[in-house]
Amino acid sequence: MDRECVSLLPRVCEVLAASGSSLPDDTSLEKLLDWFTGLTKAGTSLLESCPCLLEFISTVVHNTALDPSILSFTLRLTGFVAVTEVAFKVLQESSVLDLVFNLQHWQEAGLWEDPCIRIGWIQGLRTMMQHPKALSFFVQADFLQPLLQLQTDKSLFVASAANQMLAHVLLSCQSVSSVGSNDVDEEGEDVGRSGGSIADLEYSAVTVETNQDYAAVVTAISECLKKSLVPRENTQLHQSLQILKLLALLLAQTRPPLWEKLLQMVADSVDELLVAGYSQLILPLMDVILAAYSCDVNRRAPDQRVSRLLSFMLNIRKPADLIQAAAAFLRRGLHDLVHTAQSARVLLLPLDIITGLNLLTTTADEQRFLMMEQLKNKTSCISLICVCLTNTPQMTLMAADCLPCPPVLIVTAVLSLLKLCSGDSSSPSSSSSGCREVSRNVIGSSKVQKCALDALTALSGSPGVEVKLAEVFTLLVQCLDNPDSDPTVLQKSFQALVQWMSVCSDLSSITDQHRQDLLQVVRKRSCDIRWEVRDSTVEFLGRLAGVRVIQTTAEEASDASVAVLGGCCFTTPLLRAALQDTESYVRASAISALAQTLAASWQQGAALTQEQTEIVNQLLEVLSWDTEGFARRAVVRYFIAWLSSMSSHSCVQSPASSSLLMPSVRSVLSRGSADLDWEVKVHTLELAELLLDEAFSGQRGYTKGNPTQTHPYAVIPNTLHTRTHNEEDVVGVLNSLVQWGVVSALLSGLVDCDRPVALRACRLLITLREVVCPLSLGALDATAAMATVARVTCELPGCGWAREIRKMLVMKAKDANAEGGVSGGEVVNCDDCGEAGQEAASVGGQTPCVSVCEVLRSLDLDERLDVLTRSSDHVHNSPLSLLQDILTASSARSQPDTQQEVIADCY
Amino acid sequence: MKLYCLSGHPTLPCNVLKFKSTTIMLDCGLDTTSVLNFLPLPLVHSPRLSKLPGWISKDGTINLEKELKDCAGRVFVDSQPEFCLPERELLDLSTIDVILISNYHCMMALPYITEHTGFTGTVYATEPTLQIGRLLMEEVVNFMERVPKAQSATCWKNKEIQRMLPGPLKDAVDVWTWKRCYSMQEVNSALSKVQLVGYSQKVELFGAVQVSPLSSGYSLGSSNWIIQSHHEKVSYVSGSSLLTTHPQPMDQSSLKNSDVLILTGLTQMPTANPDGMLGEFCSNLAMTIRAGGNVLVPCYSSGVIYDLLECLYQFIESASLGTTPFYFISPVANSSLEFSQIFAEWLCHNKQTKVYLPEPPFPHAELIQTNKLKHYPSIHGDFSSEFRQPCVVFTGHPSLRFGDVVHFMELWGKSSLNTIIFTEPDFSYLDALAPYQPLAMKCVYCPIDTRLNFHQVSKLLKEVQPLHVVCPEQYTQPPLTQSHRSDLMLELQPPPMPYRRCSVLNLPFRRRYERVYILPELANSLVPSEIKPGVSVATVSAVVHSKDNKHTLQSVPKPPPVAPSKKRKRVMDEPPVVLAPKPLLSGAVPLEAFLATLQKHGITEVKVEETADGHILHLQAEDTLIQLEEDGTHIVCDNNEPLRTTLRDLVLRFLQKL
Repeated sequence: MDRECVSLLPRVCEVLAASGSSLPDDTSLEKLLDWFTGLTKAGTSLLESCPCLLEFISTVVHNTALDPSILSFTLRLTGFVAVTEVAFKVLQESSVLDLVFNLQHWQEAGLWEDPCIRIGWIQGLRTMMQHPKALSFFVQADFLQPLLQLQTDKSLFVASAANQMLAHVLLSCQSVSSVGSNDVDEEGEDVGRSGGSIADLEYSAVTVETNQDYAAVVTAISECLKKSLVPRENTQLHQSLQILKLLALLLAQTRPPLWEKLLQMVADSVDELLVAGYSQLILPLMDVILAAYSCDVNRRAPDQRVSRLLSFMLNIRKPADLIQAAAAFLRRGLHDLVHTAQSARVLLLPLDIITGLNLLTTTADEQRFLMMEQLKNKTSCISLICVCLTNTPQMTLMAADCLPCPPVLIVTAVLSLLKLCSGDSSSPSSSSSGCREVSRNVIGSSKVQKCALDALTALSGSPGVEVKLAEVFTLLVQCLDNPDSDPTVLQKSFQALVQWMSVCSDLSSITDQHRQDLLQVVRKRSCDIRWEVRDSTVEFLGRLAGVRVIQTTAEEASDASVAVLGGCCFTTPLLRAALQDTESYVRASAISALAQTLAASWQQGAALTQEQTEIVNQLLEVLSWDTEGFARRAVVRYFIAWLSSMSSHSCVQSPASSSLLMPSVRSVLSRGSADLDWEVKVHTLELAELLLDEAFSGQRGYTKGNPTQTHPYAVIPNTLHTRTHNEEDVVGVLNSLVQWGVVSALLSGLVDCDRPVALRACRLLITLREVVCPLSLGALDATAAMATVARVTCELPGCGWAREIRKMLVMKAKDANAEGGVSGGEVVNCDDCGEAGQEAASVGGQTPCVSVCEVLRSLDLDERLDVLTRSSDHVHNSPLSLLQDILTASSARSQPDTQQEVIADCY
Repeated sequence: MKLYCLSGHPTLPCNVLKFKSTTIMLDCGLDTTSVLNFLPLPLVHSPRLSKLPGWISKDGTINLEKELKDCAGRVFVDSQPEFCLPERELLDLSTIDVILISNYHCMMALPYITEHTGFTGTVYATEPTLQIGRLLMEEVVNFMERVPKAQSATCWKNKEIQRMLPGPLKDAVDVWTWKRCYSMQEVNSALSKVQLVGYSQKVELFGAVQVSPLSSGYSLGSSNWIIQSHHEKVSYVSGSSLLTTHPQPMDQSSLKNSDVLILTGLTQMPTANPDGMLGEFCSNLAMTIRAGGNVLVPCYSSGVIYDLLECLYQFIESASLGTTPFYFISPVANSSLEFSQIFAEWLCHNKQTKVYLPEPPFPHAELIQTNKLKHYPSIHGDFSSEFRQPCVVFTGHPSLRFGDVVHFMELWGKSSLNTIIFTEPDFSYLDALAPYQPLAMKCVYCPIDTRLNFHQVSKLLKEVQPLHVVCPEQYTQPPLTQSHRSDLMLELQPPPMPYRRCSVLNLPFRRRYERVYILPELANSLVPSEIKPGVSVATVSAVVHSKDNKHTLQSVPKPPPVAPSKKRKRVMDEPPVVLAPKPLLSGAVPLEAFLATLQKHGITEVKVEETADGHILHLQAEDTLIQLEEDGTHIVCDNNEPLRTTLRDLVLRFLQKL
């Protein structure tokens, strides 16, 4: 703990304890508590390191006239102080503890009405309750009843905290009792899950007597659960809801003896609640049952009672509740064949009814009838169908024997539903009038369409559905062509199409007509009036290029873009047109899509076409002129993609392929590092990093990526050391890095005002330094050992960043001179780097040059990295500044004259 | 109350309402779909159309070579196109008192009704309706008169011959009533009968009913009408829209509490959402221009075109179409574009506020200023020198049978680069294109119909809750091609009353009340007596005076003092004897009190019998019956007049007299 903080704390306590003192802002107390939490977690004993706290607590607790927020703070603080048994004893002996948590004390002062006092009381107790002494204190003070009452408090926060607290108490009692009875369960992790429950208790402290106390607590809580579970009237639903939440919490965490007991106590009440059929309680009830069930299933054969409850839930009469219950069960992903199959049947029933397809061979007529009636109402129809569709992906994960019908049939049903949505008549359901009444509810509903498309996408991976590819393709193209489809529907249709093609890979079922239709619709959508649609279309073109498929005739693999759209000759003109779009998102997507489309030809090392050259020029123009950051970022990413796909062929060195790439990269580096958008600059540095990687891969001392992130003890593979460059090589590489502008980009990044940019540049510069001229060599050795390397220079032009760098170098040189150090003064060739010198340099047409090595060694990069790694508000966020703020605010308050003067000044 | 339906077309209605003593025509729409049976009228000589083979029946018995031509596998009438008029035989059109026009599309038959039928009444319409209606009429007349056709085909209309004709001609109805287009003179004469009205202005018709136009939100100056008397209200809803386009929004609340609501002019394209279609229009347009083709948009010269231009104004930039020229060709193009800018008070709020800035309410002004949109009266003249391709051309007529569009069809039809985009929903695009087949040009159908759809109308009706709804029969069942779409029809309780061409409907409500005024001096003389708390009754003796459908009660004139005359009076001249009216009785006879009274008068032997309606008292000694019933009292007493009188007086004691 900071010494300075400790010295300030007593005064802060005085300020807080003094009535009427103000705080800098309303989060100060929370921040203080956060600080204490951190200290407690680090194992500091608060009472030992800050003895003033005891006095503070006892002063405050007597002064009920204080601001309730300070009182609440004190209650919670007491919890932290008493977290260790020793401190607890001290507090108890000084009789502070009894008063702090004395309910009557607060009630008499009329403060209990304030929710912040109630929540302070609960949280203080909760924090403290980490040892048996605290538990005993809780039991003996008989806090259980008030806590149970707080569970239905009108403040939601209080009620929820009370619930958590009750669970905590019960679990604590459980651990203590089980320790006492020597019945330690092998599953220690259960205890761990309960948060701060008691794991390392002093077993000997638990006497038989306390054990009985705990048993009484457990009984009292279970009795309360049993009693308050079933609401007497509708107004008590809230109470039942709270109890159910608590029960779910408990059943998930308790272990057998208590678990059994709890279950036994509440089973009848749960039964009663089920029969009463309150729709609002369905989900919490299901949570309880599932909590019990999943615990149970994990342990041994399922408990008969729980299974029965579950079966009951999956057969409720109210269709909306039934669907909710089934969905909740399925979401848990439990390995229970019977109930999973049952849930699947329930969830497929609405689809079965609305599409008229026989998805389910057997369903109770009554259930079907009730569901049909429910579906005739438009609002509930749409919500029911959507719940079913959202859970369809879960069904695809199920074992085949659980599904009531093959996945192909589900795909057919979803397709038929989509047709209904667009008002298509070809659905078989049109035969019965009931179905017709239901099916007209979904006509034109884009909500259902979206869910259905999501489901369709998820279903693409199910076994045996490939046969549906052509049908899915047709329908999705129809969706895309429909003038009424909303932008999200179109986006999802595009995504589904890509997904199906990537999963099915064999496109032999796609006919020429299909292809023509898709071409037509893509062409149309790329001219859509809504930018979102144009954006999704462009994205689709890019994604499609990344999907590998097998083509009809030659069985050879190609990308889907080639297979269905005819490849670049169709997509590239569309994407180039999209580069002119007025919406920057579309331009950005078009650039990424171009990169994806051309990736294949880059990887194959194909010669550049005239079109590609034009594209590169267009992109460089975008980087220079586009007003929006998105497009410019995308351009840099384009070159990153290009460069990284080429680097595997080590094209950087090959003059033929790099004829266009390297000059472009050079201009990207210079334009990108001068960009106004920090993300563009970060991407530019990524490009620079790629070049570094390429240049030094395998070089001694070069670690790819982030040097600070590598583990200090990590084993560096020997292979990295094998390839040693001689100095000449390094000189060559370094020279080319300077020529490409990598070094300038890194240096300009280093002095950037955006922290992420500077941080990244700094790390890369350190990496470069470690390869070229490691500091470990010492200044003299370095000069001697790398005489040639040191001759590599880079230019520092007259612009902003270079001036900064020069200033830093001059400062460094002066420092070195002052210390009487070695020849640091000759770092910068141009002698005087003041304003006059710079002007002279630029007038003379000469740009001053500096030695790269010297720059790297002189910039104090490590120190800079240290500063940059800290967050920008680290000074303001420290506990010290918090304490100082509190003191300053109070002194401002105590000297009202000055404040008045300030106000007068304002006028 | 009766409704005569003279047109079966749901969006081009023509109905006549007889209400109280007035005869009101509601709209007079002209069904122009008949022109699809005729050959196009080319502006410049078309070798293709002039060389078409004449039609001879297969067996050679009927030879109509001169009148019918075989074109692209279909038979067309080679004559000046003709229109299908509203029914004129169902009732005497000269008896019509007024014609209420709801929007400029629904007045195109006006000259046929007001001229040559003996019509002497008044036509009511809003100013934009009149002005733009005039433009549309002028345009059609101009299109027709520009390319006169000497020949008028009539033989094919012979019933015997028509039966033998192929294709759609055989099934065309009422071909004998089809008429050629009117002349400009007739248009002017018809429009001179129009009286302008403003929204919510109340117009008295003969004191019997009041009519008032309400904004309907469909087009500039479009209106629905309220026709009401003191106790009845009929709403006429025609061509209304709830979408936010350029016109003032629809006034819905004034339609509330109607006894009858006549509903016409719903969207012709219930499955095509206007927003979606607008998007479709733009993307197809951009696609064609990018590929180097031209776009042809056959359209009316007013209405949706303003919205299209506004949409394009925003779209041009994002689709990089800034340099593409847009041409609007119509004899009335200039007037239409300018008129739209001056009807500020008829525009939606947004556009109205622009006028105060001041800025033109429609952005097409800027398109014209920047030379992106150019307009010409026809393809002749300036246009031919400025014409640049690829371009977008807006021109009429949407039927593709006359107007400048015919020329562009001939010009661009052969290239697959070009696209024709149909935006008007009035004509089937396949029928419109029939004489131009085979066509290489791409065709896109995006009908933009902003009128109410079934969903909107059922919501509207739920809100305004009319007692009865009358509508064209087409709205009471799903469209023929989509019989499963039960959402595309009106489902109401009670079900709507359907009508078709030539229906005469007895509207299902009876007039029960009429308002009558009492003159002050007569009112002064009344002596009300309270029969129960809050309700007073008085008898009135007066003379009813009716004039202009207003009824007034006046005091009975005193008989003039009889002049002493020696002449023998004729019986006829005697003033009618005005007898003081007998007092009216009210109240009920309480049984117990009545029995007590009888007893006082010495009638003791009374046997009381209870009946369904009251009691029968049998006065045994007197052998007399008194029937006391809810609505009558009878004393049956044979030959004992004094007793009857006594009994009557006893009964009267319990009753109130007025």
